[in-house]
Amino acid sequence: MSSPLHEQMPWHRRAPGTERGSRRPDPHLDLGKYDPEADLMALNMGPQHPSTHGVFRVKMFLDGEVIIKAVPYPGYLHRGVEKLCEKLTYIQLTPIVDKHDYVAPMTNEQAINVAIEELVGVEVPRRARWLRTILAEMQRIASHLLWLGTFTLDIGGTIGGGASVMMYTFRERELILDCFEALTGGRFHYNTHTVGGNRHDVPSGWDAMVKRAMRTIGARLSEYEAECSDNEIFLMRTRNVGIIDQYLAMELGLTGPNLRASGVDHDLRRDEPFHAYDEIDVGVAVARSGDCYARYQVRMAEIKESVRLVNLLIDGIPTGPIAALRGAKSPIAIKAKSGQVYSAIETPRGELGTYIIGGGDQKGAAAYRLKIRPPSLHAVAALPYALVGHTISDVVTILGSLDPIMGEVDR
Amino acid sequence: MRIPYVTGSGRALWVTFRNFFRRRVTEGIRPQESREKRYKASFALVHNDKGEEACIGCDLCAKICPSAVITVTSAGKRVSPVDGKKRGYCEDFTLDLQACIYCELCVQVCPTDAIVMLRVQEEPGYSREDLVLTMDKLYANGREKPLYWGKGSLLMEMQDPKRSRLSPPEPAEGAS
Ligand code: SF4
Ligand code: SF4
Repeated sequence: MSSPLHEQMPWHRRAPGTERGSRRPDPHLDLGKYDPEADLMALNMGPQHPSTHGVFRVKMFLDGEVIIKAVPYPGYLHRGVEKLCEKLTYIQLTPIVDKHDYVAPMTNEQAINVAIEELVGVEVPRRARWLRTILAEMQRIASHLLWLGTFTLDIGGTIGGGASVMMYTFRERELILDCFEALTGGRFHYNTHTVGGNRHDVPSGWDAMVKRAMRTIGARLSEYEAECSDNEIFLMRTRNVGIIDQYLAMELGLTGPNLRASGVDHDLRRDEPFHAYDEIDVGVAVARSGDCYARYQVRMAEIKESVRLVNLLIDGIPTGPIAALRGAKSPIAIKAKSGQVYSAIETPRGELGTYIIGGGDQKGAAAYRLKIRPPSLHAVAALPYALVGHTISDVVTILGSLDPIMGEVDR
Repeated sequence: MRIPYVTGSGRALWVTFRNFFRRRVTEGIRPQESREKRYKASFALVHNDKGEEACIGCDLCAKICPSAVITVTSAGKRVSPVDGKKRGYCEDFTLDLQACIYCELCVQVCPTDAIVMLRVQEEPGYSREDLVLTMDKLYANGREKPLYWGKGSLLMEMQDPKRSRLSPPEPAEGAS
């Protein structure tokens, strides 16, 4: 049983599209009832493992080299963001929520502001909605590029030099950060959204800069593919590894590329349009097999689609104001004495929802309760299922392919 | 060895080879001057066009700061020696850079465009006190270091809901 030749394990490499519940690993496996002959070992990965994308611990029980049970322990990066958001006023929240998903801060800002706007009933001007859409798509490209780089690094680099793909994707991501810097002055924590619109209008020459960046990124995508999906070693490491079937993905509440890689055609950008997505056609990439390679395919297709959308949107930015309300002069400028709202937008990682109950401190200028629904938390919840049956060397592949950001998981 | 390994590896190595001849991007640290116009790094207080300290000690920036790193002590109102009008003065102003999150909200709320940001970072210090910007340091920054493009009134104008211009108000090069 404890053979390291794991390919002989009968329940390894399940076929995609398995029947509901059948052969699905039990995350609460009772180790006392496990084969008494087996040579079991408990192994902790993390919390300071470089491949856990943050501070995260997975406790794994191994039979030889094969994982029979995995228990994720998030929480090492808990910073009390939700409580902090209840203490600060609505105007002050935008720069705070920048920090929970630190790979895609732009979409965090948008999520919280869309929720507050819904709570207080502000209509965002059309120009601001287009600008937000462009920023969201650019952030999606930047986030997926960072994911691709770290993912290939996780699986040991690709042929052509250990960390080469990571170097290339970071180089291209820099182009997008430069565009953000030109717009907002910040490279990472922008604070460019506010309740009722945006804070920064586009500077002159920005659209040309964005187009230049998109041209470069669009042209280089085939190079990443040459390093990854044309590469037999990459395919061997990712195909049929970490399969999450369709039902499991839906039961766990996976969203975003992880869900679409399992064959569920669901994208908030198309299904519940926010920003300006109702004015454009969004192509939604779906893959069927639900393994690490499918998640790679979906994300690559999304980069391509986002490049197309940005090119499409940047030409058509409407004129007009970028904010519906005057810029805030005091922290209590926006008030919501009562009411509650849940609103969600599609971030690079999936559905980032914000639930707000109004009427908190400072005469209603702060939320009474604010809850963030992070997509990464649900991705981490898939680990006890996806890891079982694989060897230790596949753990970082599976974890990396789910693209969890621990700052968002723990908040 | 199977053929796909060879061709796949060959293609990947070809990409690496092509990147030998691309412009290098990891060379040195990017100089501050080549940063975008809106790049923001540190803070300054400025003098107004009459040569007086522009800060009136109104405490708005301290109130909006999400990290609560600004402390303002107002010196009350008195007649200005320059133009004879009554205005507020600030007695003490500190900004603790260590917890600042560069959100630019303090710049936005300032009614007199007194606090602005700089294009250059503060020098690293040997103790925590070195990164607490006192009033003297802030005014010295405003005199000596390059200021960034924006100021409170500009940021407010960009967010004006009645504005219909396509391009934002662009300050002249090296605006102060
Ligand atoms: S930029 Fe810094 S000092 Fe100014 S309001 Fe934001 S956190 Fe406070
Ligand atoms: S810097 Fe501006 S906002 Fe802050 S106290 Fe002075 S005048 Fe008021």
